[in-house]
Amino acid sequence: MMKRQHSAYLSTPDKVKSVLGSIIKWILLLFFALYTLFPLLWLFISSLKTNTELFADPFSLPAVWQFSNYKNAMQVSGLMRMMGNSVFIGGVATVFNVLFASMMAYCLSRFRFKGQKSIFTFFAAGILVPLNALMVPYFVIIGRIGLYDTYAGLILLYSAIGIPMSTFIIKGLMDSISREIEEAAYIDGCGFYGRFFRIILPLSRNGLVTAGTFQFLTCWNEFVFANLLTSSQNVRTIQLGIRYFTNQFSTDFVSMYAAIVISIIPSILGYMIFQKQIVSGLTSGAVKG
Amino acid sequence: MKLSKNDRLGLTMFMTPALLLFVVFFIIPVGYVLIVSLYKWNGMSNASFVGFNNYVTIWKDTVFRRSVGNNIIWALVASCVQVPLSVLMALILNQKPRGWKIFRTVYFFPQVISGIALAMLWSAMYNSEYGLINGFLRMIGRGDLTTNWLGTLNTALPALLIYWVFYVGYYMVIVMSELSGVSQDFYEAAEIDGANKIQQAWFISLPMIKSSILTCMTLAAVMGLRQFEQVYLLTNGGPANRTSTMVLYLYKQVQNTRYGPANAASVMLICVGIIVILGINALFSIERKESYRKIHRRDGILRAQTRRPRK
Repeated sequence: MMKRQHSAYLSTPDKVKSVLGSIIKWILLLFFALYTLFPLLWLFISSLKTNTELFADPFSLPAVWQFSNYKNAMQVSGLMRMMGNSVFIGGVATVFNVLFASMMAYCLSRFRFKGQKSIFTFFAAGILVPLNALMVPYFVIIGRIGLYDTYAGLILLYSAIGIPMSTFIIKGLMDSISREIEEAAYIDGCGFYGRFFRIILPLSRNGLVTAGTFQFLTCWNEFVFANLLTSSQNVRTIQLGIRYFTNQFSTDFVSMYAAIVISIIPSILGYMIFQKQIVSGLTSGAVKG
Repeated sequence: MKLSKNDRLGLTMFMTPALLLFVVFFIIPVGYVLIVSLYKWNGMSNASFVGFNNYVTIWKDTVFRRSVGNNIIWALVASCVQVPLSVLMALILNQKPRGWKIFRTVYFFPQVISGIALAMLWSAMYNSEYGLINGFLRMIGRGDLTTNWLGTLNTALPALLIYWVFYVGYYMVIVMSELSGVSQDFYEAAEIDGANKIQQAWFISLPMIKSSILTCMTLAAVMGLRQFEQVYLLTNGGPANRTSTMVLYLYKQVQNTRYGPANAASVMLICVGIIVILGINALFSIERKESYRKIHRRDGILRAQTRRPRK
């Protein structure tokens, strides 16, 4: 009774159904895309208007493109300095984080020893702990070791909080490396460190890049702890910077928008370049957690 | 591989940094909040033991109770609205409509933009004078509907929830990576049996990706409990503490150096988190057992592989 229906031979009600289906499908696809893009586009266009134009009609295009807003945003707020801080803190924290996590992952992935399971369980739980709940102890610990309001304080904290996630990502990749190569090296007299630096580390390059990209992005976007652990202009990161623009530009909205756009651009560019790594980092972390 | 003396030394050296950081920044802090939550302490004077008084204090505080309620709303909306929307979009994109890669890229944008930048963007969108939303309402001639979205009692919380619920990229990508692993044979067989696309999605795709939906719901609920930046920047808990969340409450206690209640709030946050995660897992308990068996099987194979070269 039921025969295979090729789309070309659909009966009329089925045809209506499938047309209707694809209309709904495209409405949804476009809705979600516009929902994401339109506010960003609006922000970008608004950042090139004058304040008067913005107040008069939020939808209009600027009569003259006000690139001076961007110059303004850079000069008033020390935006470049803060971006520099973010790059420095995020970069160093990423290097330490990936180094320590890959050392840990090597031990977990290539050896069997007592207590390995418990380390694994603790790290998995570590990913799900709402870190914001640990604000007070972090504040106290960083204060005690005298790193309040320093680069080192933020670097230390950022390296630490990413350890469980990075370990899982890197371990996932190391698990997939064949043991034969390692065996051969072992027989040739390659020791514990040699196997790590000469064989495992180069072979798990993809995992390192994924973990590193993910870690850097987390550092770049982090706000709560940066806010909690710094007080001076000198060590503030970009996220704090755009937060405090609200005070500095209490009336100059367009310059504030320009500053937000400047802070978004590196994220978007980085995403475009490392799309594969970012997506696989975010998803592999999720699946393990 | 047998552990030689050299290996043992290496293992110790290699694990020390990561373990040290983990102990200092995960285990000690959790112990710290548990202990300090039982003391009265303002950061300066000597702490005095007060038992569960801090818990009683914050529980009597209507702001805290409202924060817990709001957090539960966030977690529910995230796991019961945002995740299903994400699954829907994943199913649609999985049919590879024209330009699906572009759509996937675009939907993922909000994940890479910082929460702060998004919050600032939306505070501009919602602004009562020059914001896009009121501007749009005026343009279509419904100026009477304009309001101060984030400053009005009834609209503040929905406004916070709505802007973020349609950002589906993260969960969508997780579900899509699971969907790509479903064998094409199932769909071909279903097509021969006359199942349409919707039936295929409902009867084949959904059951196959159940465990990743569970993962997404857990993650979404945890994210809902962590809400801070958006609320802090968009409303700072106002109007009249209607939109406060637990982390924001905690933050304000820290600002007032009331460390005892702050830590009690932290412990509550961790507990609510555990309850939510356990609850969602219980919902899917059968599915969970299934995947446990799978993991064990894989573990067995792995162990067999490790043993093999030893001879």
